Amino acid sequence: MPDASLLTDDIRALIGGATPLDPVTVTLRAVRRSLEVYLGADEAERRAARLQPGDAVPGYVIEALSSESDTPEFPALLPNSILISNEWQFERPFRLGEQLNVAFRLLDIAERFGGKFGYSLDFRTETEFSDSTGATVARSGRSMMQYDAAVAGGDGEGGA
Amino acid sequence: MSPHFADLTAGDELPALELQPGLGQVIRYCALIWAFPPFFFDADAAHAVGMPGTIVPGPLKVGLIYRAVEEWLDGNGFVRHVRAAHRRPDRTARPITVAGRVARLYEEDGARRADLELAIINEDGQTSVRGFAVVELND
Repeated sequence: MPDASLLTDDIRALIGGATPLDPVTVTLRAVRRSLEVYLGADEAERRAARLQPGDAVPGYVIEALSSESDTPEFPALLPNSILISNEWQFERPFRLGEQLNVAFRLLDIAERFGGKFGYSLDFRTETEFSDSTGATVARSGRSMMQYDAAVAGGDGEGGA
Repeated sequence: MSPHFADLTAGDELPALELQPGLGQVIRYCALIWAFPPFFFDADAAHAVGMPGTIVPGPLKVGLIYRAVEEWLDGNGFVRHVRAAHRRPDRTARPITVAGRVARLYEEDGARRADLELAIINEDGQTSVRGFAVVELND
């Protein structure tokens, strides 16, 4: 465990601020590629062929939309990191052809003292998609843990 | 058959979804998000970081839970929220099962909603992911 908290004022100042990313469009290509990942090429082709502009599309497309822009790097305070959890939230389905504004936020950083991974830091982030009226359409969230594998006593459990 | 709010009861089980995410699916996922950590698709790279072999990306697994819920809904509603808490890695090309049950039924903001408890279970019967979802049913 470090002698002093790694959550300095400079690090804490990163919490809560929104970083605008490039706007994204829900394209048929993004929908089809997302469907191919989760449902396979044949089902993706079948579903994509039926879609018309303005149609609701499956939430899988959030992964394609989230990767349109590089998100700001986490400060690397400890040498190892692992995914703890991730989530998708939808206020309504995405619609084919709509353009969305995107913002990235570091929601929180929490310290853990002790436990399987020793001293560790949990970073909770969110990518938010909003429509032209400013209404939130969806959020993609992720919690990552930074830790030091050299001092952790894990038993193989944990994220991926 | 689509689930209908009036017919559901807390404790009702979702049909188990049996999957076997292979390297092809993992590589498609890496291409979708344009990120290529080698241990997801290169066994030697996985061994070099202490893994027994290539693993299914954790972020991909929230979509597998989403798929199980979407297939259960069968068009009668939409998935408002899906969450995956990762407990252990899943090896690629190994069978997994997405299981779930209805935890709570309620009306909120004029909508009929259900909370679902879900899990991804590996071939050894271990839970690799604990999941949670909220769905909004049309009727």
